[in-house]
Amino acid sequence: MHALLADSTLTGGLLTLAQSDFPHALSTLTLNHYLFVSAAMFALGIIGFLTRRNLIIMFLCTELMFQAAGLALIAFGRYHLNFDGQSFVIFVLTIAAAEAAMALALVVLLFRRRESLDADLWAELKG
Amino acid sequence: MTDKLALVWPEIWLFVTTCVVMVVGLSPDLRVRKLCGWISALGLVVAIGAAVPVAHAGGLFPSITPYAKGMIGVVGLMLLPLLAGTVDRDLDAAIESGKATFSALRSNRAEFYAFFLFSLTGLMLTASADDLIWLFLALELTSLPTYIMVTISTRGTRSQEAGVKYFFLGALGAAIFLYGFALIYGATGTTDLAEIAAAFRAQSEAGGLNTIGVAGLAVALIGLCFKIAAVPMHMYAADVYQGAASGVSAMLAFVPKTAGFLAIIMLCGAVGWTHGATHDSLPAPIYILLWVIAAATMFTGNLLAIRQSSVKRILAYSSVAHSGYMLVGVIAGPGSGHGTFWDNGIAAVLFYLLTYGVTNVGTFAVLASIQKPNGEEADDIADIRGLHGTRPHLAGAMLLCVLSLLGMPPLLGFFGKVGLFTSAISAGEIPLVIVLGLNSAIAAFYYLRIARAAYLEPADEHVETRAGPIPQRVFAAVLSASAVVLLLTVAQMLMERSVTASGYHAPHAGMADTPHEALDLTRADD
Amino acid sequence: MLVLLILLPLLFGVAVLLRPPAAAKWWALGGTSLCLAIGAMLVGRFFANASPDVPFQAQGSFAWLPALGLNLSVGIDSVATLLIGLTLLLGPICVGASWTAIPQHRARLFYGWLLVLQAAMVGVFAARDLLVFYTCFEFTLLPMFVMINEFGSTNRHKAATKFFLYTFTGSIIALAGLVYTAWAVGTRATGVDGFTLDIATLTEHASHVLTAREQALVLLAMLCGFAVKVPLFPFHTWLPLAHTEAPTAGSVILAGVLLKLGTYAMYRFVLPLVPHAVLEHAPAVAILAIIGIIYAGLICWVQTDVKKLVAYSSVSHLGFCVLGLFALNSAGVTGSVLYMLNHGLSTGALFLLVGFMYERYHTRDMREIGGLGAKMPIWSTFMVFFVMSSVGLPGLNGFPSEFLCTMGAFISHTGWTSGAARHVGATWGPLGPWFGFAAGTGVIVAAIYLLAMVAKMVWGTLREPAVHHGEHDHHAGGPHLPVDLTAREIMTLLPIGVLCIVFGLFPTQTLIGAIESDVNAQVAFVHERSGEAPTEHEAHFAQQEHRQQRDAGRDEQIAGVKP
Repeated sequence: MHALLADSTLTGGLLTLAQSDFPHALSTLTLNHYLFVSAAMFALGIIGFLTRRNLIIMFLCTELMFQAAGLALIAFGRYHLNFDGQSFVIFVLTIAAAEAAMALALVVLLFRRRESLDADLWAELKG
Repeated sequence: MTDKLALVWPEIWLFVTTCVVMVVGLSPDLRVRKLCGWISALGLVVAIGAAVPVAHAGGLFPSITPYAKGMIGVVGLMLLPLLAGTVDRDLDAAIESGKATFSALRSNRAEFYAFFLFSLTGLMLTASADDLIWLFLALELTSLPTYIMVTISTRGTRSQEAGVKYFFLGALGAAIFLYGFALIYGATGTTDLAEIAAAFRAQSEAGGLNTIGVAGLAVALIGLCFKIAAVPMHMYAADVYQGAASGVSAMLAFVPKTAGFLAIIMLCGAVGWTHGATHDSLPAPIYILLWVIAAATMFTGNLLAIRQSSVKRILAYSSVAHSGYMLVGVIAGPGSGHGTFWDNGIAAVLFYLLTYGVTNVGTFAVLASIQKPNGEEADDIADIRGLHGTRPHLAGAMLLCVLSLLGMPPLLGFFGKVGLFTSAISAGEIPLVIVLGLNSAIAAFYYLRIARAAYLEPADEHVETRAGPIPQRVFAAVLSASAVVLLLTVAQMLMERSVTASGYHAPHAGMADTPHEALDLTRADD
Repeated sequence: MLVLLILLPLLFGVAVLLRPPAAAKWWALGGTSLCLAIGAMLVGRFFANASPDVPFQAQGSFAWLPALGLNLSVGIDSVATLLIGLTLLLGPICVGASWTAIPQHRARLFYGWLLVLQAAMVGVFAARDLLVFYTCFEFTLLPMFVMINEFGSTNRHKAATKFFLYTFTGSIIALAGLVYTAWAVGTRATGVDGFTLDIATLTEHASHVLTAREQALVLLAMLCGFAVKVPLFPFHTWLPLAHTEAPTAGSVILAGVLLKLGTYAMYRFVLPLVPHAVLEHAPAVAILAIIGIIYAGLICWVQTDVKKLVAYSSVSHLGFCVLGLFALNSAGVTGSVLYMLNHGLSTGALFLLVGFMYERYHTRDMREIGGLGAKMPIWSTFMVFFVMSSVGLPGLNGFPSEFLCTMGAFISHTGWTSGAARHVGATWGPLGPWFGFAAGTGVIVAAIYLLAMVAKMVWGTLREPAVHHGEHDHHAGGPHLPVDLTAREIMTLLPIGVLCIVFGLFPTQTLIGAIESDVNAQVAFVHERSGEAPTEHEAHFAQQEHRQQRDAGRDEQIAGVKP
């Protein structure tokens, strides 16, 4: 597969991030654009995590950050023309799924105890 | 493929043990289930045995695995008796008093041990990581089980609260360092650590490191601060340590911290200690970042620890401070490579991890061996007052461990600290050494409080404590305290091993198989 | 024999812990007495064999971690021998002084730690490598902490913590300085392979490899540690508190030996390791010492608590000791070493006397108590005697040391260099007449406050506290003490008194003669090395060369293995 890609670079010049049958507007996308979206997702994730107090929203924010990393990985992988990035993303998705399972378990546990999902209710431990 | 397999035999054995423990743990017979601890111990012993002979792997730190995995196995073995009886305590008590019969569904023992072994497997995998993907998966395998262990470690709401806090901040940390990994990959075009190192080297020789690469390293390091409980990701430590059972807290102070430091060492190794004016330090942004983190972590940990009244919280903040101490060794780097313990910061960190892990078991084991009337483990400093009158061996263990953490010569902790001192001095980090010295002195304040409470002060009249029901924990305390003294006899061997382990295969530009073009963010496609 | 002196107290300490509490003090007495006997033999043998060619005797070394350059080695020169003698002498005296003051159920804790403390103190003086030195230096803190914290008076927790934190902070910074020196020697000195903590090697090379700036930094770091211990003027605040709260034996050891660890470390490390910086900055240190002398003296003047008065007088007196040391000439350094011994004797005895009085009256306030001459004639006699010794009455031991220190400072002036600093009184050094003059006023202040104290305590009308405070009386039910000193108490004071007279009347024949050659060699060494420090360029070059040599050696080794 790698060899094939390398071939196409030789014959077809630089591979485009967007394939030729995509609308033309997408074909002018550079790595920069993808990274910008990914950085925005990441920043939104962090901001959301720090400002929201609902546990499910907070968890979704971390998911957003995971996916931001995934998007960056894919974009970089396409840019570098190797599969490291894409295979990384597969693992990231797996881990994200595992974390989602745990998060939901914890959220259910919390809801049973407190009947609320407000993170501020958990304040038994203080220094 | 097979040569890589040969490197991970310890992990394979641990994994097999984990599976056995899980299956045995399904047995309807309580006596069979109680074997889980013993099987885990056996698996750890086998893993240590498998770790020692593996001498050489590829990558940046080719010889780190035997020492790191040996250390992980030994401290894991010491943690086992401390973790005994963490879950199923109420159930066991009820069965013993005849109030209940054994119910296979209510017992979590096997899962608990299995998670512990999973976490150690992840930790060992971190030590053998030579790839960003591998590193990420290993770090997650280390952390995910600990979230559950914290949550189920006691039946109270406090450990559930601790679990939630730990999990959510852990997920945040993981997302942050994952994003850092992605940027590193982007800057170098590979996830193989040695190739990343070569690419960074080529970039710095060609005129400067790629901005995205440096940013990625910085982001990844900040994310890893969660694992080592360093500023700015230290906030969870006190709450989580206090909420979890003492055994799990002791584990948290060693396992994620070791994983974090191994990862940090590898990332710093990828960029190399070959930058700066004299070509012997990390690149300036990373250097400044780590410097600030180290100093802030030391001061924050120690100053917050002084204000606490709960021993667990004190130990948690002191664990934060210890991370700061070790970062000094990371900043100092592997030195000139002339192979002595004294100018090798990485060896100092590896040795310090061992001393800290061994010693820390003791402090938490003492707490775990004392029970309050309501069945909870000792936590407040009032609970350990007068310990020398009722349980002198525990008081003695506490005294020895605390003094070792303080760095009192001639105990084990002192040599760990001296290693950090000398390596930082030989790297020219005089201001950091002063910060380190000052902080060791601040730490004396709260360590003395613990030692005085346990060893000198009379018991408070209104505080009632009694011996915990689990003799293994007392064994763990005494074991750790005696290790603080007895390991001195083999200190030379340990220090030499840590020097060998820190052997750093410095990257050179021609190392990578494929040439890397410079990253051009604006390269348009058409 | 030296090792025996370190290990025996530890063994007896274990014995004390294992035996029933009633036997604790007997075991402690036996242990310290045995050590004293061995120590007497050691001192005797040392001076019988003493010769200027072999400065260090009774050397022993144990290669503990050879590959890392860590050896445990001991050895003594004349200064160390005398200070070990002082330590061992105070051992049984402290046990005797605590005989009734320590309640029996806590006796094991007290005497066990007392013995550990003695082992650590001997270890500091006997150390010939930094590992032993630093370990023992730090390990003196712990027993003292326990003694103050557990057996002190009302404010003991604060005092113990302050004592520990001050000295621990200082000594960590000192450790950084010492380790830096060891690192510089290990990476630059020719003929030194790798990291070493051997004091002889470090002394030999340090001044050749450290640049002027490094020497100044190392000096600062070491002073941070050792000046806190002494204590020098701005770092002294822990001492009065620790002294007033400590039990009698604790105070005696603190004043008698522990403070000397600081000055001894200055003598052993600061002077020879960084002579260039010492010469340059000696006036600054001397000014601190003089401020300490006068400031502490003035505080003594207005003190009403006898024990605090004696404690502040320690600060003042040790100022002389440091002043003499930094005069850097034979007179000053000799005086300083004499001061270490004599201050240990006379101030130790003063603390004993104050302690004996406190045991009877449970107060140390001079407004409540006084005119004891009529009621306690023996106590008063000793009091007057030791105050005279402390004031520096000619004929008693305080005089020669104080005189030599002051004179050393007075004649210490580079302009007057005779060039051959090989006999006592050689005039060389960084200070000058003004320093001697200022210190001289300190002598007068000392005379005023000590004599005023004696006047109030011994003469005048008898004042006694009306009622013993119940809360102070924590040995209620203990043996009732007679009005004046008992035979046991007299026995603790008598040997000190005899030594005070002997050292006072025959200083040259006893002490000065004993330490002369070592001190002169030290002064000559400092003199010789203080001239020039290597420049940064030279240091860097030495480091490069050292590295190349080491690499060459390594390559040869590798080549030898794989032909």
